[in-house]
Amino acid sequence: MTKAFSLIEVVKTYPGFQLGPLNLELEPGTVLGYIGPNASGKTTTFHCMAGITRPRSGKIEVFGCEASPHVPKWRLDIGYVGDIHAFYEGWTGEANLAFRSRFYPNWSQARAVDLAKRFDLPLDVKAGTLSTGNRVKLSLVAALAHSPKLLLLDEPTSGLDPVVRREVLDTLFEALEGGERAIFYATHILSDIGRLADSLAFLRAGRITQVSAKDDLLDKWRSISFRYSGSGPKIAGAEVHESEGTSHRVISSDQARTMGQLQAMGAENIESARMTIDDIAVQILKGGQNVAGD
Amino acid sequence: MLLNLTDLSEESLQSQISRQIRAKVLAGELAAGEALPSIRALARDTRVSVITVQRGYEDLEREGLIQSRRGKGFFVAELRADRKKEMARRRLKDQLQPVVRAAVAEGLTADEIMAAVTSLVTRRT
Repeated sequence: MTKAFSLIEVVKTYPGFQLGPLNLELEPGTVLGYIGPNASGKTTTFHCMAGITRPRSGKIEVFGCEASPHVPKWRLDIGYVGDIHAFYEGWTGEANLAFRSRFYPNWSQARAVDLAKRFDLPLDVKAGTLSTGNRVKLSLVAALAHSPKLLLLDEPTSGLDPVVRREVLDTLFEALEGGERAIFYATHILSDIGRLADSLAFLRAGRITQVSAKDDLLDKWRSISFRYSGSGPKIAGAEVHESEGTSHRVISSDQARTMGQLQAMGAENIESARMTIDDIAVQILKGGQNVAGD
Repeated sequence: MLLNLTDLSEESLQSQISRQIRAKVLAGELAAGEALPSIRALARDTRVSVITVQRGYEDLEREGLIQSRRGKGFFVAELRADRKKEMARRRLKDQLQPVVRAAVAEGLTADEIMAAVTSLVTRRT
């Protein structure tokens, strides 16, 4: 099946920073969260995919169509909300949308107006006088009005209040319902897409360190406490290990292995608690510090 | 279909989905042959990712409670009444096991445990 997008050995360099080589792909109809700290290269990845900048090497395909400066067709399938909200400041939101509509054959003005209403965004105000939140909303409307097959969303809910944030997420769930569309969503606030995302790609210092199905992470990671009187046990699957006398607490990335070992070695008062996807993500980004009992 | 899902539970979303639908099927609230919502529609309604719903449906399919028909989605399977009862009984046993084990460890007798279960059943009816 054609992938919603694929990145093959994509590299982009700036002085003092290299992104990639990135290899990543996304199935149509699914949502991939892109998780990484600031300056890890998330925005640069989106810039390459949206054609704002060109990678130094490698290949980008969107629904089977190669991203090439000579054949800009791939861009029509993309809706991008990024860090830069490029509008004509002296024009109203409506005029900005009308201008943009000319580049997209699939543009629906009715959809644009409907979205603006849902997000509570006034369209008769000059773009230059919009608040930060309203600029983000205008970007979202501009990105969604041509019903793109691939949504590239770079922290799209930053600066929005919780009610509008919820409305935006609802819109994204609805966009997915057709079955073909895909969403690539960068954020460092995972709770925003904790439920929406099917899988998560973790980016650190320009490299993807892990790509996992979200449900697998939630199934495998546990915070486990237990009592053990022996000295310095090395616990299988433990990413973090704290101890205080005979009390221990580990964060395990493989609860089945950890629990198996704890039972085999006769640990007592074992308690295992699920972790939120935020907590798991923090541990993955930290890369684990296996501090065995001190 | 109304499901009540929460992130504030020890139980995974996938298992909340399969458990709640299972209960509807075993209670007869969903009749044999009835269509389930599509995976995407349920994902949208419950604000859960598509793969989570898919895995919940797969659990139910493996148990024989629902069937997928190619291109048409998922349907409640035809289940004989005695088979339904057998499934409910087995599930009850599975869930009681750790509770009963803990009660025994805390010194309750079989009669006392039975009395507690009986009082729960009569209170409900």
